[in-house]
This record gives sequence, structure tokens and C-alpha cells, in this order.
Amino acid sequence: MTGAEDSADGATAVAPVLEIRRVAKRFDATQALDDVSLSLHAGEIHALLGENGAGKSTLIKIITGVHQPDRGQIMLAARSVTIRSAADAQRLGIAAIYQEPLLFPDLNVAENIFISHQDRGAVVSWAQMFHEAESILAELGVALDVRSPARGLTLAAQQSVEIAKAISLNVRILIMDEPTASLSAHEVQELFKLVRDLKRQGVAILFVSHRMEEVFEIADKVTVFRDGRLISTRARLEATPQGAIADMVGREIDLTKTRATAARTDLVLSVSALGRQGVFEGVTFDLHRGEVLGFAGLIGAGRTDVGLALFGIEPATSGTILLNDKPVAIRSPRDGMKLGIAYVSEDRRQLGLVLPMSIFANVTLPVLRRYLNRFGLVRTSLERGTADAFRARLAIRAPSVDLEVAKLSGGNQQKVMLSKWLNTDPSILILDEPTRGVDVGSKAEVHAIIAQLATEGIGIIVISSDLPEVLALSDRVLVMREGRQMAILDRAEANQETVMTAAMGQRPANSLDGSAP
Amino acid sequence: MTWLQRRVRPEQIRELSLLVLIAIAIAFFGSFIDGYYSFRTFNRIASSVAIITVVAVGQTLVVLTRNIDLSVGSIVGFTAYFVGTLIANDNGINPLLAVAIAIAMGAGLGVVNGVIVAWGRVPAVVVTLGTLAIYRGVLVDLSGAKTVTTDSLPDWLTGLPLVNVAPIGNLDIRPLFVLAVVIVVIFQFATTYLSFARRFYAIGSNPEAAQLVGLPMRGVVFLAFVICGALAGLAGFMFLVRFGNITVEAGRGLELSVVAAVVVGGVNIFGGSGTVAGAMFGAVLIGTLEQSLFRLGISEFWLDAVLGLLILLAVASDAVILQRLRALWGGAELKLVAKEADSVSGERRAPRP
Repeated sequence: MTGAEDSADGATAVAPVLEIRRVAKRFDATQALDDVSLSLHAGEIHALLGENGAGKSTLIKIITGVHQPDRGQIMLAARSVTIRSAADAQRLGIAAIYQEPLLFPDLNVAENIFISHQDRGAVVSWAQMFHEAESILAELGVALDVRSPARGLTLAAQQSVEIAKAISLNVRILIMDEPTASLSAHEVQELFKLVRDLKRQGVAILFVSHRMEEVFEIADKVTVFRDGRLISTRARLEATPQGAIADMVGREIDLTKTRATAARTDLVLSVSALGRQGVFEGVTFDLHRGEVLGFAGLIGAGRTDVGLALFGIEPATSGTILLNDKPVAIRSPRDGMKLGIAYVSEDRRQLGLVLPMSIFANVTLPVLRRYLNRFGLVRTSLERGTADAFRARLAIRAPSVDLEVAKLSGGNQQKVMLSKWLNTDPSILILDEPTRGVDVGSKAEVHAIIAQLATEGIGIIVISSDLPEVLALSDRVLVMREGRQMAILDRAEANQETVMTAAMGQRPANSLDGSAP
Repeated sequence: MTWLQRRVRPEQIRELSLLVLIAIAIAFFGSFIDGYYSFRTFNRIASSVAIITVVAVGQTLVVLTRNIDLSVGSIVGFTAYFVGTLIANDNGINPLLAVAIAIAMGAGLGVVNGVIVAWGRVPAVVVTLGTLAIYRGVLVDLSGAKTVTTDSLPDWLTGLPLVNVAPIGNLDIRPLFVLAVVIVVIFQFATTYLSFARRFYAIGSNPEAAQLVGLPMRGVVFLAFVICGALAGLAGFMFLVRFGNITVEAGRGLELSVVAAVVVGGVNIFGGSGTVAGAMFGAVLIGTLEQSLFRLGISEFWLDAVLGLLILLAVASDAVILQRLRALWGGAELKLVAKEADSVSGERRAPRP
């Protein structure tokens, strides 16, 4: 190992709350963790960085008792412990919060908070439970009806419940595995406030995120994993995003590099006063060939709804859509596809891909008609040919297009999604959160693909909660808030501040609303 | 959110609507059948409902955990026959011992289901479809197709259905009915207030989350099947009490009525939500329909078709109506309130979903 472990953090006098000593874990042919040592102190936020498959998840699963290490020791407050199950981990004061909060939708908020308490007696006192849940949430600065079921809570609210759950268990070690992946910038800030509060109370926090700027905002220490090994541990002040990325991928990548912009040429799409009753209204913009239009805003601002309306999944109820100067009505995804529009969903698992099916079957699914022979049977050799071409073009890392999509990493699944929709030969491509849950290396590749597609003349709409991503990719940025269009910012005027100001409801003084100049 | 919406959940509205359906059904049959509004009708329906209810309570626990027990009809027949034979051979047997044997026998058959589902990881539909046939097959083989007859049974047993437990005016309250009500009250209380029983809900609501918070998944699923078996065993005894004559066909097809009662009673077939009381209302509706249609002279094959239709309607209404209601209610809103320590300006409210 590269022992950059004892960094100058001034806490070395106190024994670490958690110490991982030379832990190794092997799954079949893969060395998931190789001789990893790491220590975590009370009141410290320790970020773990690494591409998918670098070993972060395996480490988390070992700490939470899901997996057992092959070698090495786990020390809690200087005592060696064996963590055999989630229940064990909980008893030892270890809790984990995941990207998708795992609540019980049918149980109410209070019961969700206390479900894993083994010490509350055989009989449930509902009044007392509601009261305690309310006071924990109040302590967090969150007001939430503890009697209502968890079903239908927003992701941010679900995260709050997860944190309340952890607090109720008196956790000493809180593991947060990509907690911000589905949150908007505003919600992330609220979450960070809670995290800093926990830190002040002496909780040790292990924080996993793919978003570099978040890591550098909140972490005290940054540890980078690559290929199952711990590459470096640095105090935040000594680390830089570029350095961390270099450690993660073994090469330098700059994700904030802005895309070379193209001259605005032919208009492909002109939308005016588009709305859907009770969801969004007054959306007006133009999209040109080869242009990337970014959609920014908080989660719930209605960005995805505009995308769904343009593709016909949830059709618009007012306004007009001109496609190549002709008015069109888009009432179903079939209409959208016929008109050359493709929508790549933010929800890869549920809406995008058929996970148990092969790569080629997924890629050809929307236009399977094209692959029929004269007896109406599917010609799989043709399908494979198409899929192979996309595999080469988008650098999908898979040994064969016969592989099940479920077996691919997030980044590669995203590329299969893209292939599937590019195969419909769209003139307009709507990408919803194209890099959510995707590691840095693949993210850069997806960005490069988007840039390439734009130069090929496709009009692209990128909906993303990752603001640096929107800024790096877009020629113009459309900002929404609570179902209304707040501004369209040109590349020259779009930056973190102007976009956030508009998204938070203050109109920037020099914004150009409406269509392009 | 209005005051009413905070007090009443969509799931409760669904259960209340069942009462309306029951009232409509009774009014409907009352207008077609002479002398429908009589104590005789009440008692006949009540004893039928009692048996369905007891089995439905156990089935509810199983369905809450995202499983199903199709073997209950066979378990009822199995225990009714063998406990009946036992009593016929030894008329002096202690009645409580006979009941205990019935429950233990049912629980034993439930153990088989539970072990295979929880530890064998075989889907419950497949396991209990198999045991439905196996238990019935064993019954037919061991019994040699003989029949337990009423005259071979002691008087306390044959007289039990007519005992009047608590006369309210002219209305006789029968023991089977009382037993069913007691079972419902016990299990309604347990599933609301006992922390280990809340696990039935948790596991069915989100198995992945249950795993992560360290709930003993297999143990809970196993327990659900054992309790379901035990209650089916008890129902087997009730079956014996009610009919006296027990053939190897006893309780055949009962699983259809029971599953219908549970599903119509608002227990989500995908687990996680529903109540024992709801299942009882479901049983009341099913029992009323069965007995009343029978009195109208409608063939039992049509009766099965009606039950099947009810199951489909209940599941479909869950999917459509409950979703609409939930959408109307909306999720609880998250508000971030400024703490005294913080002095944060600007937008404090989380965006609406």
C-alpha cells in the first residue's frame, strides 16, 4: 500500500473510531479489495473516491457486515470486531445511507425511523413513537408529518428520514453512499447542513460521491481507490480535484472543459408557451441543428416534465411545437419517435433498459420492425451488426453484444441507452440526467459522445442536476423553477451564480428571456 | 392537506367502502329472498363467515409478507378429518385437547410450507400449490376414503353449533362466531401493537430495506406460514363442529374464498399493507355472497366465478382507485425549519415534488 495514511489532521492523538487494517476481499477472479488500511476519526468527514468497481462499495459492505473480509482486521475504538450482519453493524453504532433511500413505503415516517430498534419493548406505544420521531426530526431542523406513510415522500425527505433513523440509533459511524446522486443543488446544500451538524456532534462520516465539487466542499480527508487498492489519502487542503481524478483513473481528465460551440444554423425545434396543466407552463425556446440546450433547475422544477411532453409520454396540454417550421402534435412516444425525437430517460433501470436482455436486443428494441425478414421473424445477425457498430462507436466495454445489460456498469448501461435511441436516427435527442450514477471516466466519455453528436447535426437537450455538467456541455441554458421558465442564458452569461439565481427565483438583471437573439 | 385527509388514510377509505358494499349486498338479497332478514339467515351466514375469517386472518399474515398460502383448504380438510376420526374413536377425549391437536396439526403442516418457502427459496405459489395437492392426497390415502359421520361424534361436539353463548334479545350468538371475533381482535391488536408483528408489514413493504436493517426475514416468513397453518387447523376443528359429516373432500376450494376475502378486504396482494379487520370485512362480504347466492339457487360453479371476479375487481381497484386516492392525498411535505442556531436566509422550503 501507499501509506499516505497518517496525514496531518491533528487528531492522531485520539484513537480512531474505526480502523481498517490490511483488509482484502476476493470475488472469484476479481481482487475487489487488496490490502486496504484506512482510519476514521470522530467528527471527521472522510470522502471515498474511485470509479465504479474501484472497491469503495466492497469496503462499505464489509463495514456494514454484508461481506466478510478474507484477510485483515476491523477495529472499533481500538477493539477488534467481527461484523457478521447488518444487525451486528447496527449494534456497533454503524449505519449506512444509500443513494436510493431504502424506506418501507407502507409504514409511517415514525415507524421507519424506529423499525430497527430492538430495544423498544414488545408492545409499540404509537403516541410515544410519534413524539420521539417528531423531536428527532425537529433536532434536525426538519418538519415532516411523522404519521404519514413514507410512500410518496420526495427523495430529499426520504434522506432526512434515513438520517433521523441513524441518529435515533446513536450512530458513531455513518456511511453515506452517493447520498446526493438524486438530489438537486439546493437539496444537496440542505443535506450538507445536516451532515455538518452530525460532524459537530462527533459522528464519523464516510462519504462516497462521484461529484468532485461536493467532495471538496464537505470532506476533511479524501481517499482515492483504484482497482481494489487504496491509492492515496490526503487532507482536503492538500488535495486538488485534478489530482484526485488523476489518482482515480491513472490519467488527467478535465470535466469542466467546455465544449467547442457550433454556429447556430437551421432551426429544428421551436416551442412556444408549452404547458401541461398543473405541471409546467409558458415554456418557450428554439433549438438549432448541432446545438446543445441545457435544462437547469432544482429537482421538481418541471424540467423532466418538459422532456416527457416533447417526447409524448405525458403530452403537453397547451402551447405549440414547430418541428422544422411545421406545427406538430405529439400525443404519444410513438408520435415522438415518428417525428425523429428520442428521449433517454433518467431512470435507466425502470424506463430505459430491459436488464435481463442482451445488449443487441436492447439496442434494436424501438425499431425492431427494421430487423424483420420477409417471414416477419427477427434477424438477429442484423441486430448484432448494428449493436457491434454502436459498441465500437461509443466504446461500450463488453466482451460481446450478447451480454446481458444487467451485467454492465452504470456508464456502459448509459451508453447502451444512448445507442438504443441513436439507432432511431433522431434529429432531436433529449438526455435526462445522462451521467447520474456514472463514474468519472465514463462521464467524460459520455460528454465527448454528446459533443460528437452535436457536431453531427443533432439538436440536443440535456436535462441535468449536475450544474458544472450543464455549463460544460450547453450552448445555452434554460433555467426552470416550479414549472416556469425563468431564463435562457447564453454561454457567455451562464455560470454557477446566474443559473442558481434564476433557479432560486430571482431573475438575473441582464437575462434574455424567450428565444435566442 | 385537509383535516380529514390527515385523519383518514386512503387505505381506511377502502376498508370503509367495503362496509357500504356489504350493506348493498344485504339490501339486494333482502329484496329477492323471502324471510332474508331473519336470525336464521344471520346464523347461517355467521357460521360460514366464521370459518372463512379464521383462515383469512392467517392468510393475511402470509400475504403481508409477499407470499400466499394456497394449501389452507387442504389443511382445513386434513385436520377436520383426522381430529374427527380421533374424536369418533375416543368420545371421552378432552375437548380442549382436541382443539389443541387440531391447531398443532395445522401448525405442523404450516411448518412444512414455511421451511420450503423461507429456506428453500421456492416461490410460495409453487410450494403451496404443491402442498395443496400433497396434503389432500395424503388425506385421501390414509383415510381410505371413509367418512366421519355425525352419529359417531359425542353430543358436546354435535350440539356445539347450537349453543347460545350470549343471547341478545332473540338473536342467538353462536360459539363459532364468538371464536372468530376473538381471533380477529387478538390478531388485529397484535399486528398493530406488537413490534415483532410489525415486521410482517416491514418485510412485505420493502424486503431489500428489511434485509439492510437486519430484520430476520426467513424467521418472519416462516412464522407467518406456521400461524396460518395453525389457524387453518383451528378452522378445521370449526369445520368439524359445523358439519359433523366429514368426507375427504372437506374444505376443498376453501382457498378461493379465503384469498378472495383477504384481497377484497384490502390486503395488498404484493405485501406490506392491509389489516386483519379488513380481511374480516372481506370474509363477511364473501360469506354473505356465498350463502345468499346459494339460497337464490345459483349453482356453486357460478359462485366460484363470482369469487374469481371479486378477486380481479379487488386487485384492479387497488391498482387504480388506491393510486388515485394516494395521488389526491399526496406525500407528506418536507419542510426545513430554521433552527435557532442557524441564521440562514433565502429559500427555506424544499421544492414541491
